[in-house]
Amino acid sequence: MEITFEHVTHSYNADGPTASLGLDDVSLTIKDGLFTAIVGQTGSGKSTLVRHINALLKPTSGIVKIGSRVIDSETSNKNLKSLRKQVGMVFQFPESQLFEETVEKDIMFGPINFGATEDQAKESAQKMIQMVGLDESYLSKSPFDLSGGQMRRVAIAGVLASDPETIILDEPTAGLDPVGRQEIMDMFKGLQKNGKTIVLITHNMDDVANYADDVAVIHSGKLIANGLPKDIFNNNDLLKNDLLTLPKSAEFAKKLSQKGFSFSKLPITIDELGTEIKQQLNGD
Amino acid sequence: MEKIISIKNLNYTYPEAKTPAINDLSLDIYKNEWLSIVGKNGSGKSTLTKLIDGLIEASSGTIAVDGQEINEDNIWDARKKIGIIFQNPDHQFVGATVEDDVAFGLENQGMPREQMIIAVDHALELVKMSEFKKRDPQSLSGGQKQRVAIAGVLATRPQIIIMDESTSMLDPDGRKTVLNLVEQLREQQDLTIISITHDIEETELSQRIVVLNDGQIVKDGKPEEIYDLGPELTNYGLEEPFSSKLMSTLRESVKLPEGYLSGRELKEQLWKLHSNM
Repeated sequence: MEITFEHVTHSYNADGPTASLGLDDVSLTIKDGLFTAIVGQTGSGKSTLVRHINALLKPTSGIVKIGSRVIDSETSNKNLKSLRKQVGMVFQFPESQLFEETVEKDIMFGPINFGATEDQAKESAQKMIQMVGLDESYLSKSPFDLSGGQMRRVAIAGVLASDPETIILDEPTAGLDPVGRQEIMDMFKGLQKNGKTIVLITHNMDDVANYADDVAVIHSGKLIANGLPKDIFNNNDLLKNDLLTLPKSAEFAKKLSQKGFSFSKLPITIDELGTEIKQQLNGD
Repeated sequence: MEKIISIKNLNYTYPEAKTPAINDLSLDIYKNEWLSIVGKNGSGKSTLTKLIDGLIEASSGTIAVDGQEINEDNIWDARKKIGIIFQNPDHQFVGATVEDDVAFGLENQGMPREQMIIAVDHALELVKMSEFKKRDPQSLSGGQKQRVAIAGVLATRPQIIIMDESTSMLDPDGRKTVLNLVEQLREQQDLTIISITHDIEETELSQRIVVLNDGQIVKDGKPEEIYDLGPELTNYGLEEPFSSKLMSTLRESVKLPEGYLSGRELKEQLWKLHSNM
C-alpha cells in the first residue's frame, strides 16, 4: 500500500493559545513494499507523522492517502477499523499495553477485535509466537512473568497477528540487548521481504544504514530530506548543521579521510567500509 | 584500594522460578571506581542491583556496604548511601517543578527547609540545570529529565550511584551529555558509579567491566580486556565493538596486529599502512 502525505500540517491545540505545529506542510511518499526509516531529533515530529498513517491523528490541513483511502481534517472517527487492521502500529515500550492473563489471549485480542473467529485467532497466535522467536510453551504463561525482552516480543506478535499490510514501528528495540535487537530487526526485514511495507522511527543510524531502503529526515515538523540512505548520509548540508548523525562506518571513514584515505561517497555499512579500505590499501 | 561494596556467595531465586537469578556471586566494588555491569536481558543485572539496594532479600550470602553487612535493621542506613537512576525518566518524577522534584528525597529525610533550598540549588548547579528549576519536569527533553533525576539523587549525598540502563531511552546527544556529566561528578564528588547496561559503548568511560551471564560473573576486567573478546561478546548478548568488527573484515587482506585496537588505534594503524604504500 502506498502512503502519500500531501501538504500535511498538524497543529496541536489548533484553537487554543498554546497552538504548536507538530507537522508543517509535509509532502512525502512512503513506497509500497519498501523499508522506510523516519529520523530526526527528539520532539521533531516523527511520532506525529506516523500517527497520521492509521488516523490516530488527522491533518489540520492537507491530506494523507493510504492506498485508496483519504484522510483529511473532516474524516469521521467512525469506520476506521479496516484502516487500523491494515496498518499495525508498534509503539515505544509496547509491553506496557499487555493486559491479558495469558500470552495466547493477548496475541488473540487483535485478530478477534478485527473479526477473526476464536480458532483463527488461536492459529494466528501459534504462528506469531514462533515468528518473534519464542516457542509455543510461552502461550500459556502470564505476560507478566516474562522478562522485558520477552514481553516486547509478545507485544510485537500481538500487532503482527492481525496480519497488517503496513507495519509502523516507533523505536521498537529501545532497551533490548544488542543480540535481541538484531533478531527483531532481522525479523522486520524478513516481513518486508514477504511483501509488507515497513515504516521505522529510530535514532539508530546503523539500523537505518543496514535495513532501510529509503529515509526521511524530519526537523521542527518539516520534512527536510528524503532519499536513499547512502545519499542522505552524504548530504553535507544536513551534516554541517548537525541535523543528522552518521552511522559508525561513515563516521570512521570521515576520520580516516583526514589523512591519506579518500572516499568519493562515505560508506555507510561495515562491509562497504571494509571493501573501500582494502581497495585503497591493496589496490584490489 | 578501599572497598565500598563487598558481595560474598550471593544467591537469589525468584519465587516459583526453576533456576537462580543470581548464582553464588562474589564481587568487590572499590571506592571511586566506575564499574559497568553488562549482560543480556535476563542475565541477572537488575536483580543484582535490587539486592544491593535491599529491595529484595538474598536467599543466601552477604552484601556489605561501606564496611557494614546489610540486614533488616540497618538497610535504611545502607540505602542512604546509594542513589539509583532508573531507565525511564518519566517514571521517577513526583514534583510539579524541577526544584520540588529534586527536594523530594530531602523532604523524606526530614531536612530543614533553609538547608534544603541550598542543597537543591547546589545539586541543580552540579548537573547544569539551574535555569530550569521552576519548570515542569514533563516539559523537559529526555536528557534534561535524567539530569534532574541525577540532581535528585545527588542532593541526598550518596556515596554510590547506580545507573540502571539510565541512558537507554535517550537520543545520542542526551546520552553523551549524561555520561560525561556522571564521569565529571565521579571525579569531583568522590562517588562510586555502578552502571548497568547492555550497550558496550556506554562502558567506555568506566574503569572496569563485569560481564554477567545466567546470574554468574563470567568476565571481570578493564574495558580493553573485555573488548578484546571480540565476537565472543555476542555469546553474552553484547555487541562486538565497531573497531573489532571492522578488523575482522579487514584481516584476510590487511596486515593488522593481534588483539583489540580501539577505534583511534585502528585509525592510526590504517594511516601508517597507507603512508607506507
